[in-house]
Amino acid sequence: MSSTAMKKKVLLMGKSGSGKTSMRSIIFANYIARDTRRLGATIDVEHSHVRFLGNLVLNLWDCGGQDTFMENYFTSQRDNIFRNVEVLIYVFDVESRELEKDMHYYQSCLEAILQNSPDAKVFCLVHKMDLVQEDQRDLIFKEREEDLKRLSRPLACTCFRTSIWDETLYKAWSSIVYQLIPNVQQLETNLRNFAQIIEADEVLLFERATFLVISHYQCKEQRDAHRFEKISNIIKQFKLSCSKLAASFQSMEVRNSNFAAFIDIFTSNTYVMVIMSDPSIPSAATLINIRNARKHFEKLERVDGPKHGLHMRMR
Amino acid sequence: MEDDNRPLLSSEQTESQSHRGSTDSLDVKAKRPFHVEPRNIIGDDPQERVSAEAAILNSRVHYYGRLTGSSDRLLSPPNHVIPRPEEIYVYSPLGMAFKVKGSDDTSKNPSIVTMCICHMEHDDGHVNPQHTLGDKTNFYSPKAIPYVDTSDWEFPDVCRYYFGKFGQWSSLVFSMVSLIGAMVVYWVLMSNFLYNTGQFIYNYAHNVNTSDLEYGTNGSEKVICPYPNIEPGGNGSITMSPLFISSVGNETLDSTSFGHWWSKTNTIPLYLIVLLLPLLCFRSASFFARFTFLGTISVIYLIVLVTIKSVRLGFHLEFHWFDTSTFFVPELRLLFPQLTGVLTLAFFIHNCIITLMKSNKNQENNVRDLSVAYLLVGLTYLYVGVLIFASFPSPPLLKDCIEPNFLDNYPSNDVMVFVARTFLLFQMITVYPLLGYLVRVQIMGQVFGNNYPSFFHILALNIVIVGAGVLMAKFYPNIGSIIRFSGATCGLALVFIFPALVHMISKKRQGTLSWPSAVFHSFLILLGLANLVAQFFV
Repeated sequence: MSSTAMKKKVLLMGKSGSGKTSMRSIIFANYIARDTRRLGATIDVEHSHVRFLGNLVLNLWDCGGQDTFMENYFTSQRDNIFRNVEVLIYVFDVESRELEKDMHYYQSCLEAILQNSPDAKVFCLVHKMDLVQEDQRDLIFKEREEDLKRLSRPLACTCFRTSIWDETLYKAWSSIVYQLIPNVQQLETNLRNFAQIIEADEVLLFERATFLVISHYQCKEQRDAHRFEKISNIIKQFKLSCSKLAASFQSMEVRNSNFAAFIDIFTSNTYVMVIMSDPSIPSAATLINIRNARKHFEKLERVDGPKHGLHMRMR
Repeated sequence: MEDDNRPLLSSEQTESQSHRGSTDSLDVKAKRPFHVEPRNIIGDDPQERVSAEAAILNSRVHYYGRLTGSSDRLLSPPNHVIPRPEEIYVYSPLGMAFKVKGSDDTSKNPSIVTMCICHMEHDDGHVNPQHTLGDKTNFYSPKAIPYVDTSDWEFPDVCRYYFGKFGQWSSLVFSMVSLIGAMVVYWVLMSNFLYNTGQFIYNYAHNVNTSDLEYGTNGSEKVICPYPNIEPGGNGSITMSPLFISSVGNETLDSTSFGHWWSKTNTIPLYLIVLLLPLLCFRSASFFARFTFLGTISVIYLIVLVTIKSVRLGFHLEFHWFDTSTFFVPELRLLFPQLTGVLTLAFFIHNCIITLMKSNKNQENNVRDLSVAYLLVGLTYLYVGVLIFASFPSPPLLKDCIEPNFLDNYPSNDVMVFVARTFLLFQMITVYPLLGYLVRVQIMGQVFGNNYPSFFHILALNIVIVGAGVLMAKFYPNIGSIIRFSGATCGLALVFIFPALVHMISKKRQGTLSWPSAVFHSFLILLGLANLVAQFFV
C-alpha cells in the first residue's frame, strides 16, 4: 500500500429512510439539521468530516432510492465509491415492504465491493427492530440473518439487530469497532495488566470519535449493565457543548469521597477511563500512571504497520 | 441550547403545577416525562426506585434531544418505547413523586406558537392616488394553538381544528377570493402591458406620432391624463380643444384595422388565453419558480424609473388637508377605506406563509427574515407611491388624473416606460402560472383530496379562472377596485375574524381569556367588517 495518506472508507449504505443519518448522528454526535430529513436522499460527499479509528472516513450513501438520479450517479461513480473501502455497513429497515428490492441493491453493492475492495469487512444491520413485537424479534432476525449470510457468499457478513431505542445499536457498533482493531486481544491483555498494576476498579478504553467501548476490564461485578452507553451519551453531550465554544474535550476528573474517575486522551485513537475506588490514592499518582501507560500503548499501536489502517504515517 | 432553559419538570403535571405551561416545544413527544434518578450513585441502596431500562432510556432521550432542533420529531421516543403511563413517576426536587394521570395528553396545556407577521406582496406598478394618508397596517398577536403536533399546520388546518368543516371550507373560500382576485388583476395588467407594448412597436415601426392626440403636459417630460374629467362650464374647468375630446378613450383612436385587431379590452385579453391557458395546465410549477429573478429586476428598474422621472419633473406638492381644490386632492378624505381595502389584500400570503418558510435552513431566523421582507416591500411601495404622487405635474393636470396603473400616465412613445412594461409583462407571465398552481393545489386538495385528479378537472378550473380574468379585463378593468374588494373580503376572514376568534377561543379553553383582550379582539373583528362594508360606499 502506498504511503500517501490514502483514506480508507467506512461505507454506511442502505435504502433512503432506513435510518442511516440518525444512526450516524447518534453514534458520532453530529447535529442533524432539519433539512436533511426533508431532502430525502442523503448524498454524502467524500469530504465527510466524520473520521474515526485514525484515518477511517465515514461515507453515507443512499442505495436504491426513489431517485433515478441516485441510480445513475451510482452506476457512473461506482468504482470511485467502492474503492479503498475498509468496512461496508449496510442498513436494512426491518419494516421495509420491498424485501426483494432491498436484497437486490445489497447484492449489487457486494458485487462492487468484490470488484474494488475485496478485503473489506461487511456488516449488516437489521434496523428499527423496536417496531417489531418483542416476542417476534429473535425469529425475524434469525430469518434475515440466514438470508443475508446466504446472499453474501463468498464474502462473509456479520449481522446485528439494532434499534436506536435500546442498547442494541451501541453494542452493535461497539462490536464493529472491536473487529476493526487488529490487535485487540493484545490491547485487552495489556489493559488488564495496567488496571491491576494501578489497582483500578475498572478501566475502559473508548474509541475517540464515538466513545464506543473498545475494551474494558473490571475487577468486580458492577451493578449497571448500561453504564457504558450512559457514559458515552454524557460525554458526547459534553462534546457537543464544547464544540459550540470551539473548544475540544480533553480530559475530565470526577471525584467524591467514595471514588475517583479519570477520563483522558490515551492513544491517537482512544480515550481511557479509569475508576479508582480507593480515595486515598492521590490523583497525581493515577495521572502519572496513565501518562506512562500511554507511551506503552502507543507503541503497541505503532507496531502494526500502516496496512492495518489503524494508524497511518505520512512519509 | 433550549434544554438548559427547559423547566425541570415537564408540564404533564397534576393540579398543583398546571398553571405553568411550557413555552418551548409544543410537541407531545418531545415532552416525555423527565425523571431524576433519586438513588445514590455509590450507596448500596437495595431498593431500586427506578428501573434500569427507564434510567438508560432517560439518558438516551436527553442525548438525542441535543442532536436535533427542538421542534424536530425525528429522534423523539415513539409511544411503544416509553414506559406505560402507570409506570411513570415524576419526581420533584422537593422529594415528592407524582404519577402521570391518564394517557390523554392532548387536552392538557396548550402552548403558544409562532407569530403571524404581516407580509405584503404586490407585483405590479400601480398606485392609488386618492389617499395620501396611509392607514396603519395590522400587526398580529401570538396565536395559541393546542397541544397536538402542529409543526406542519397551515392556517386553514388551524381553522379546521377550531371551527370544524365550516372553518376549513370558509378559509378555503376566502383564500380563493384573494388568489383569484390577484389573478384577475394580473390578467387586466397583462392585457394593458401587452396592448401598450404592441402599440409602441406599431407606432415606432410606422412612425406614427400620437403626441398631439394625448392630453398632457407640454415639454420634454410628457405626462398625460388618459381619461380627463371634462366638465364644460363648471368651476375650475379645463379648456380643451375639441380634438382632445374626441381622443378620449384612445383605444378607438385608430380606426385602422390595427386598432381593430389590437384593442385593449376587446381582443388582447383573448390573445392572452392562447398564451397562458397552456401554461396554467402544467403539472408542476417549479419551472416557473426559476423566473423569480425577473421580479427583482422589474422592481429595481421601476424604482430607477420613478426616481428619474421625479427628478426630471420636480415636486408639485401642495397640502390642502381637508378642502378640495382644482388641481390637488385633500390629504384626508372620507374615501380612505379604498386604501385600507387595498392594504388588506397584502395579507393574503398569511394562508401559505408556513409552507413557504418551512424549508428555510435557519428556522430561528424566520421571524427576522419575514419582518425584513415586509419592511422592504412596504418601503418599496411607499417610495414609488410618494414619488409618483409628488412629482405628478399638477398645475396643468389634476392629481385626480393619476391612474391606478401609473405607467398609463406616460405617453405611449416613452421608451423607458416601454421597457418597464416589457419587463413586467414577462414577469407576470411567469408568476401567473404559479398563482394558478397555488389555487389548484388548494382547491383540488380540499375538494378531491388529490392535487391533480385528472387533466379535465384542471382544465375546467383553469377555464373558470381565465374566464373571470377575460371578463374583468373587458368590462371592468379597474384594478384599484378589484383589489380593494377582494382584499377587504379575504382580509375580513383571514386577517380579522379567524385569527381573532382562534385566539379568543384557545384562550378561553385555557381559561385565560381576560376581558380587555376579548374586547380588543372583538373590536378587531368589527374593524374588519367595517372595512368591508365601507368598500361599497366609497
